[in-house]
Amino acid sequence: MGYSGARGGLAAILAAERLVRDKRDAAAADLAPATVVGAFRLGVDRVMGEAGLYHEQTAGAAFQQAEGDTMEATHLLRAHRSRLPRLATSEPIDPDEMTVLRRIVPAFREPDGPQLLGRTTDYTARLLDTAVRHPTEPEPEPAHTPRPATAAMRTPRRFLDQLRKMDLVVEHRGEHGDAEPHDLARFPARPPAPRSAVLSAMSRAETGGLVGLWYRSILGPDGNIHEVTLGEVRHGHLPLRVRHPHTGNPVTVGRFRATEAEAIEDLDGAEEQRDKFDVGYGLCLGHNERKAIAMANLDIANRRFGRSSPLEQLLLMTTDGLDSTGFLEHLKLPHYVTFRSMVERKQAMRANTETESRSTEPWGRTCR
Amino acid sequence: MFSREARAELLAEADPDALIALADQCLADGAPVRVLTAPEVGCVTAQVVDPVAAERFLLGDILACRAEVELAGHRGWAMRLGDDRAAVLAAAVLDAEVQAGRSGAAAVDELCRRTQQARAAEDDREWAEIAPTVVEFEELT
Repeated sequence: MGYSGARGGLAAILAAERLVRDKRDAAAADLAPATVVGAFRLGVDRVMGEAGLYHEQTAGAAFQQAEGDTMEATHLLRAHRSRLPRLATSEPIDPDEMTVLRRIVPAFREPDGPQLLGRTTDYTARLLDTAVRHPTEPEPEPAHTPRPATAAMRTPRRFLDQLRKMDLVVEHRGEHGDAEPHDLARFPARPPAPRSAVLSAMSRAETGGLVGLWYRSILGPDGNIHEVTLGEVRHGHLPLRVRHPHTGNPVTVGRFRATEAEAIEDLDGAEEQRDKFDVGYGLCLGHNERKAIAMANLDIANRRFGRSSPLEQLLLMTTDGLDSTGFLEHLKLPHYVTFRSMVERKQAMRANTETESRSTEPWGRTCR
Repeated sequence: MFSREARAELLAEADPDALIALADQCLADGAPVRVLTAPEVGCVTAQVVDPVAAERFLLGDILACRAEVELAGHRGWAMRLGDDRAAVLAAAVLDAEVQAGRSGAAAVDELCRRTQQARAAEDDREWAEIAPTVVEFEELT
């Protein structure tokens, strides 16, 4: 250990680490990586999104190694990612290609395509189930044979398109041309930043931090009071394409899961188009609806208030979980030298004050 | 017969054990093979076009693995998601096998067809699982 003027302690550090490893591995001896990914799906997905690296098995291994601590697992995965080369940047992905596993449109009863609940407990009472589960017991068969899937069912048109058709939404396409996206992995972003930087920052932000910031933006001291309506939430597969190095044509090398959200904003500002809505966008790796919804709402809040309030700076500089928890965690490391220096400063001030209190200024007042 | 890109897509998705077994079979005749790019694990950065402003942004990285070989004077390339180096090397060999028009080409196409069928079956299974959750909430007036 070599931090902040302290050294040594190797035997104790190794013993502490061994304690973690032995207890953890004994408890999880029968836990296969696939079991971790399957049983703790949402935790694993959250880790992938916050680390910015999609691979279920690797994220599952990180989750297990971190004893279920999502932030620690994110740290492990981000560190793993940092030593991997970038093989390619994908061809631009059109989210309209998402094959949905879940899709709900809370704003509209009959959107194009189905309201598909998918795998969720959103509509179920939160009651702790302490019954012993028997995974081998067969589930009852569904009562009906589902209709064959159509493109409209698996890749439904987005709600935003419906609003566009009704001429009810502010048009932003083409406002900034086709600028190269900001690459946060290589260059940190500082305000004022392009929208691509803010979207990237939010897509890998810590979920709780982003939700907290969203809640602050609607109820907090910044005065960014705004209506909140959720247009659409989706979870599904997106294709990943790269250029084939021999033919130069796009080739699909696989697909990954992502969560997408659209937030509808009722414009009411003096300078705004009050007869229209505006839409914010959220997209993150894996299944993490809380994060995508917070992101979509913060996207629209940032468009409206980002430059006139601290919001853009907060989004760019305070939402990365690795930054914030890294700073917090480092406080646990020995700070003997820095604190001793603070103590000595206090003692010096006190000694100085005591010396000076014995001498008075010419007009008789104590010098402070 | 698949296009080069369609074949690459299906080899990217094919069962790893089947890929390796078929690649071993193709190389069994002792044809000269050279690894041009050893299987390398890295990231493909996912670039997304946001549908609101039609602007691109970087969503994050997807773990991937790629390899390139030369077999009987023809180059083969493969990329797969994940970190299975043996599988991606096998896929590159199979791509080269077809490019070289060698005897294993038909078997490679057959593996691609099986992969295509397996994907369709998986899509059907997935839909059968989620279709019962299609809902029509009633509106209270």
